[in-house]
Amino acid sequence: MRITRLAVAELRRFGKPLELADLQPGLNVFAGENEAGKSTLVRAIRAAFFERHRSTAVEDLRPWGDSAATPTIELDFRIGEQDYRLRKAFLKNKRCELWIGTRRLEGNEAEEHLAALLGFEFAGKGASRPEHGGIPGLLWIEQGAAQELHEPVRHAAAHLQRALDEQLGSVAASGGDALLARVQALRGELRTPTGKARGALQEAQAALAQTRAQVQALDAAARSYREQVDQLSDLRARHAADENARPWEPLREQLAQAEQAQAQAQALNAQRGAQAAEIQRGEELLALLHRQLEADAREGAELARRSAALAQAQAALEPAQRAQDTAARALAQAQAESSRAGEALARARLEETRAQLQRQLETSGAHARATAELLQRARAEAGREADLVRQAQALALPPKALQELRRQDERLQALALQLEGLATRVAYTLQAGAVVTMDGRSLQGEGQQLLAAPAELTIAGVGRFTLAPGGHDLAERRAEQQRLQAEHRDLLQRLGLQSRAEADAREQARLALLAQAEAAAKALQVLAPGGLAGLQAEADRLGDERAQVQAALAQLPGARPEPTPGCAPRSSPAPIPTLAAALAAAEDAERLRQAAAQALDAARRHAAAAQGAAAAAQREHEALAALRADAGLRAQHAQAEQRLVDAQAELAVKQRQLQALDARIAAARPDILAQDVQRLRRSAEEAERTQRERKLRLVQLEATLAASGAQGVDEALALALREQAGALRRHDELQRRADALVLLEQTLQTHRQALTQRLRAPLQRHLDHYLGLLFPGARLAIDEHLQPGALSRPRTANEGADGTETTNATAATIAAPFAELSYGAREQLGIVSRLAYADLLREGGRPTLLILDDALVHSDAERLARMKRVLYDAATRHQLLLFTCHAERWRDMGVAVRALRDE
Amino acid sequence: MTLLLHTADWQIGRTYTRFAPEDSAALAEARIATVERLAERAAERRADAVLVAGDVFDAQAISPRTLRRLFNALAPYTGPWVMIPGNHDAALAEGVWAQARRLALLPPNLHLRLQPGIVELPALKLAVLAAPLTQRHTYDDATAWFDAAATPAGWLRVGLAHGAVQGLLPQDVDATNPIAPDRAARAHLDYLALGDWHGCKRIDARCWYAGTPEPERFKDNDPGHLLWVRLEAPGDVPQVEAEAIARHRWYERALALAVPSDVDAAIAQLDACGAGDVLALTLAGRVDLAAHQRLQRALQAAQARLRALVVDETDLRLAPTAEDIAALRADGYLGAVIAELRDAAPAQQRQAQDALALLAALLAEQRETAAAEARA
Repeated sequence: MRITRLAVAELRRFGKPLELADLQPGLNVFAGENEAGKSTLVRAIRAAFFERHRSTAVEDLRPWGDSAATPTIELDFRIGEQDYRLRKAFLKNKRCELWIGTRRLEGNEAEEHLAALLGFEFAGKGASRPEHGGIPGLLWIEQGAAQELHEPVRHAAAHLQRALDEQLGSVAASGGDALLARVQALRGELRTPTGKARGALQEAQAALAQTRAQVQALDAAARSYREQVDQLSDLRARHAADENARPWEPLREQLAQAEQAQAQAQALNAQRGAQAAEIQRGEELLALLHRQLEADAREGAELARRSAALAQAQAALEPAQRAQDTAARALAQAQAESSRAGEALARARLEETRAQLQRQLETSGAHARATAELLQRARAEAGREADLVRQAQALALPPKALQELRRQDERLQALALQLEGLATRVAYTLQAGAVVTMDGRSLQGEGQQLLAAPAELTIAGVGRFTLAPGGHDLAERRAEQQRLQAEHRDLLQRLGLQSRAEADAREQARLALLAQAEAAAKALQVLAPGGLAGLQAEADRLGDERAQVQAALAQLPGARPEPTPGCAPRSSPAPIPTLAAALAAAEDAERLRQAAAQALDAARRHAAAAQGAAAAAQREHEALAALRADAGLRAQHAQAEQRLVDAQAELAVKQRQLQALDARIAAARPDILAQDVQRLRRSAEEAERTQRERKLRLVQLEATLAASGAQGVDEALALALREQAGALRRHDELQRRADALVLLEQTLQTHRQALTQRLRAPLQRHLDHYLGLLFPGARLAIDEHLQPGALSRPRTANEGADGTETTNATAATIAAPFAELSYGAREQLGIVSRLAYADLLREGGRPTLLILDDALVHSDAERLARMKRVLYDAATRHQLLLFTCHAERWRDMGVAVRALRDE
Repeated sequence: MTLLLHTADWQIGRTYTRFAPEDSAALAEARIATVERLAERAAERRADAVLVAGDVFDAQAISPRTLRRLFNALAPYTGPWVMIPGNHDAALAEGVWAQARRLALLPPNLHLRLQPGIVELPALKLAVLAAPLTQRHTYDDATAWFDAAATPAGWLRVGLAHGAVQGLLPQDVDATNPIAPDRAARAHLDYLALGDWHGCKRIDARCWYAGTPEPERFKDNDPGHLLWVRLEAPGDVPQVEAEAIARHRWYERALALAVPSDVDAAIAQLDACGAGDVLALTLAGRVDLAAHQRLQRALQAAQARLRALVVDETDLRLAPTAEDIAALRADGYLGAVIAELRDAAPAQQRQAQDALALLAALLAEQRETAAAEARA
């Protein structure tokens, strides 16, 4: 396609019409300063094709401030051999006319025809958007849009595909994609993309598994049934065998026999028991008889003994009597002795008392004398004390007075000292013949005077000096002194003393006297602790005591007059023993008497006892003798003797019989018999029990089998096997189908991809052609959506990832995704790619027109040079309208640079 | 003259795993129906007795329903039935016969011998020496006691046994349940009615296998008959006549397909089969797509028409011709796809075959849809 002429009017800055004619088939370079309208013209071309004439979204075409404008665009272009003219007017007067040769189309019809012709779409409503641009949208690059490639390619992809498909129609498959989609859908029914079974295949797998499980279960059941049938057969056989053999019967017989033998043995045992009992009784009888006889013998002995006892008792009687008499006599004697001893004791006691009283009297006399003396001394002391006290009293001074006296004296002394201190001292040394008087007293020679009070010193021939010792105090003190002195004299006078010293002496004397009185009192105290009164009382008491004793003494029987000391005692009619001796004798006599009394009692008792014994013995003897004389007893005795003999004989026989029985029993071995019985009984019971249980087991097994038989497990297993076979068939069928679909899908996809690869090949070729001029050795990969991918360029020697030399030979290229390249590189690649697409489309016979509006502004000089070669080459195949504001840059393109200027 | 009906190997309760469940059920049902027909025939021709020589049932644990149905099928013939257990339905301690007895299904005119013994039918002056099998595997000759068995004088002496006649049947040497080949002679039997071999087979003048009245496998040994045995007097040679009674015909065919006409022949054969046929078909060889499709259609039709049909196509190859591919109108890369599938390696041959068939079918579908749209 190429545009031959462009005319615009009332379009933006072009108020006056502008016409560009004689556009060349190849490269056309238009230069204009900024604001010269380059982009406006590009916009005009785009609007003429892309915008519907009725569009209201074309306000940008309106000339500034011209509300009544009708922007008009006219284009003459040629596609293949056909000439076209397009005229469109917007806004005020909307019009659209397309002349195809002589044929004229209008309005929508014209627009639709254009869209189909060039490969783009119109927007449903509103302004045309990039996605409608189609192929022209890709090839007519607006300012600053060169580096954007992905979106324009995407929008043009369908058109590109169609173009390519038609070109490569012999290779592509019509409806191939639809078929592939169908195959994929069918495959998806049975398998997921990852190969997992789903849908009917999955169900078939599940069903197969289920039937297998069922078959397994039923097979097991059938096997179990068969085993049980065999078991039943076996049990029946054994049961029948035992029913015939009846093994328990012989056992029972043997048991009966054993029991019988056992019974016999037991009978023997019982017999033996009876026999033993009889023997026992016989022995008892024998014993009884023996006892009887013994008793009789004992009785006889007893009688003899009693006779002897009687004699003995009688013999003992007389000595007892005699003893008794002797004892009586002894007692009388002892009593007499005892009374004598008593008398002696009484006398001794009396003497003792007398002596005692005598002594008492003597001691009390001495005591009384001592006490009297003590009393006398005490009285003397008391008197002395009293005297002393009286004397002291006489000397006493009123205590307060003495105190006052002392105080006055001391104060006076103190005052004297003070006055002396305060006093004015006048020391004088008089000349001879000096007449000096002080207070009338003349002073001579040397000396000193103390002046406590004003004094008058008269010096003859000189005058009178009044010396007033200073101080108020002094005067006060002096006054006090005088006062006090007066008081002191009064007091002394009152007291009758001369001086304080005398008072003190008196006081001292008084105190001495008092001390002496105290000493006397102390002595008195020693002598009479209880006081004089007490002492007196004591003396009185003692006197009384003496009187008492004397009276007692006088009262004593056989009283003798008070013996004078040294007088020999009068002799008594009887010797008076000492009290101790008398006491001892009396006690002895008493003891003897008591003993004698006791002896007499004993003798009496003894005699009485002997009497009694003799009487008893007599009685006993008589009784027993009478008894034994009884005749009946005699007879019994004889009988018993006979019976004893018989019994002994019988017993011997019975014992022999017992021995015989024991021998028999031992021979029968009853313990073994018992074991036999037990063993045989257990065996018989066991056999019977086994049979019963087996019967039971048979019944149970039969019932179980009847029940399972009724379930028809064999038949069910056969049916299950059939179902399993069916499930397996279905599963295999579906599996086959799924496998076939998978293979078909894979094969289709492989081929389709190969095809797409082949479609991309020409594009790749065209791209590589240009790329070789721009980046030698580089490759730009094209993906299946015909989008440019990564650009891989050969690595230069000093170009490592981090700037270091790389030694890895395989990493000879660095690949960078398109988006990561620099702006300039992307711009260049954007243009290069579009040129490749244009070449491809041209091969497919589609119209191609390239418009570049201020492109390659970010390319450096070297890149720009390369791009110029690229553009020049492309311009040999396509019309290329290049708008630029750098006229100087494009003067080496082999074509004139046309200036866009207001005309 | 005594007319006996000899049959055996009814194998009631047997199911078939090779067929679809409906077909399998119908075939199992047919076995009972055949028994009923057999009973009807016996009644029609006024048989004096029916001898069933074992394997009445195919297994021991049969469902009560099947048992009832079988015994109901005996109803049409009211004369004496004499049955013995075979190896499938041996008289074990517990099994199908005990079950039938418990369910009170044994009709009064049925003489069932579960132990070796003689069935005496005084009205017919017939003594049947019955040798039932009482174990699953018997290695002794169960008919051995026939030789010494005594039957009333002047009576017919017929043996009834189930087993493999030694030496005369094409089988393994040490088969179970052996029967001496000269038993009939040794035991002085007028006739020995045998079961176990499923084909109708004459052993000697007095000894026959009746075979199963309804075939149940593809082995072609002439099943599907009952035997009419006419005995004039004791000692006479019996007259034996076979009568076909089977409902279905079982047979196998193997067809080799190389040229298109072979396919036509195969289809013709299929068309010739009818509702009474049970067919096992093996197809081998090469067919092109068109022929394959025709064949598939014919097979589908046959499936519906025949009683049962199993087809083995493992050795059948799809070999699309150039015309096939052109007819497919598979343009662009589809053609390459078809070529690749056609020339697939042997390891993937079957998968590729199936894929090719699928592709052809889908393309055909697409073509038809496009044609339908074009017409619309």
